[in-house]
Amino acid sequence: MAQIEVDRLSKTYRVSEREGGMLAALRSVLRREYRHVRAVDEVSFSIEAGEIVGFLGPNGAGKTTTLKMLSGLLYPTAGRASVLGHTPWRRESAYLRRISMVMGQRSQLNWDLPPMDSFLVQLAVYQVDRAQGRRTLDELVEMLDIGHVLKKQVRTLSLGERMKCEICVSLLHHPSVLFLDEPTLGVDLTMQDRIRRFVADYNRRYEATIILTSHYMADVTALCERIIVIDHGRILFDGPLARISARLAPFKVIRLDLDRDVDGYDFNRLGHVIDHAGRKLTLRVPKDQATVTAGRLLSELPVLDLTIEDPPVEEVIRQLFARGAEAGP
Amino acid sequence: MRAVLRALPALFRLALAEMFQYRGEMVLWAVWGVVYPSVAMAMWGVAVKGSPGGEAIGGYTPGDFAAYFWLTMVVGHATTAWDIHEMSWLIRSGRMSARLLRPLLPIWHSVADNLAYKILTLTILVPLWLLVIVVAQPSFQTGRFELLVGIPVLVLAAVLHYLWGYNLALLAFWFTRMDAIGQFWFGAGLFLGGRLAPLTIMPEPVQRIASALPFKWVIWFPAEALAGWLKPGAVYSGMVNQLIWIVLGLVVFHVMWRLSIRRYSAVGA
Repeated sequence: MAQIEVDRLSKTYRVSEREGGMLAALRSVLRREYRHVRAVDEVSFSIEAGEIVGFLGPNGAGKTTTLKMLSGLLYPTAGRASVLGHTPWRRESAYLRRISMVMGQRSQLNWDLPPMDSFLVQLAVYQVDRAQGRRTLDELVEMLDIGHVLKKQVRTLSLGERMKCEICVSLLHHPSVLFLDEPTLGVDLTMQDRIRRFVADYNRRYEATIILTSHYMADVTALCERIIVIDHGRILFDGPLARISARLAPFKVIRLDLDRDVDGYDFNRLGHVIDHAGRKLTLRVPKDQATVTAGRLLSELPVLDLTIEDPPVEEVIRQLFARGAEAGP
Repeated sequence: MRAVLRALPALFRLALAEMFQYRGEMVLWAVWGVVYPSVAMAMWGVAVKGSPGGEAIGGYTPGDFAAYFWLTMVVGHATTAWDIHEMSWLIRSGRMSARLLRPLLPIWHSVADNLAYKILTLTILVPLWLLVIVVAQPSFQTGRFELLVGIPVLVLAAVLHYLWGYNLALLAFWFTRMDAIGQFWFGAGLFLGGRLAPLTIMPEPVQRIASALPFKWVIWFPAEALAGWLKPGAVYSGMVNQLIWIVLGLVVFHVMWRLSIRRYSAVGA
């Protein structure tokens, strides 16, 4: 049975806008202009218990807004959602007790105190049985390897240490559904890897349902079999990670093995040369021209071997994110 | 309610621990609460001496003024609240999102902070208050009745002021900056609550306006009741007024809170 069901969920923000300069500032005093931004536009999906789903998209695509609606932080403009049988934005205590959200850029820890103080408060707020709470805390401290930072002031911790403490404080009540928003943002590669292994382990041990947003493809490829790609508030793709390239990439990759050197042949007129070493060549060509280009290569060159492939997932996502970065958040 | 009872002591301990980190700031805030009633006390003492007859203004002798303003120090401390200034920071910094994720109304976090401050700073304030008594020689008429009703009057005043302050603070969900609203609230409390002068010596229109607002029941009424200047009937009637404002405050809070979280856009949070 689906643990998360989302049906045509939408969120529109009303944002004020004005031109730069003094005159525009004065005008805005008398008449403020607003624009409606549709951050999430009729998004629908469902997620089974125990799944880890990667929620991907460029900046401003609507990922975090969707997670905030599912965690009960935001009211939607339209649509329905059910998580663990609850409507998230009703913010019922029984619901909030069973979920958690880790926000990479926002802290649930008190920065002026050692993390242990925040952990103890969390256990009390979620009414975790004292003995059980102690056991969970010991277990998480061991799994995340944070025993050595428990007595340090949070503001003095490294980003990676702090993120592990954020994850620890969010999991003390054993949430059944976990929303992870950029959990590895800004942490170094070793720490990213540790956090990934921990998330996978937590999912296995407690059969928790996890939605993960991340800008790091490695997070997604290491943890998620299924991904949902969102852009401009709409779902572009929902399915197995392995199928994303076939569906979303606007190009194909042609790999070529030649029998002899072909000096002077202009490969650039056929597509973008990704790699050319000796008699081996990798070429990126528009999807709809892949067959024609392959035909030309076969007829014009001494080809030993030729393959047409979908581009790697990382490449597809990177291009998607780059598109978002150009468009701006 | 069980959740609140379990969480509140833990939040209180956390708030205390945080305040220990910023003890210097706590001391300054607490001392400020002694300074300005002391200034008012001194000014009115001088004013009495310069008045025709030089004995009293509006029936208040220098000793009465000293007693009144000393009590406004104590009542002011018991009723202090700063959510109007803190709420917009909580929203802008994203801290409100973290609080909203918890299965506990965020107001309880603020209540714990508030209680921790009031209790912790007593260690500095009690010696200062005693020093002011020695220097200013206030003339109290406080008897057993006043001491007995004093505690509930003070608790009701603290709840009333906290609740309405929090209700106003919820406007931060609509307005990004709350500093001006906060200053307006503080100024109104100063003038219409009787912190600058006992309300009975204020002009009639001011007294009428004060009667229609909650501030009177936060400062003036508890101070007068504790000083022993009100008859038992007036004290009970004042307590009923405090209760009415609290019930009204709860209703407003209920409505405002529901509207606020619908309004919350968690921008940048």
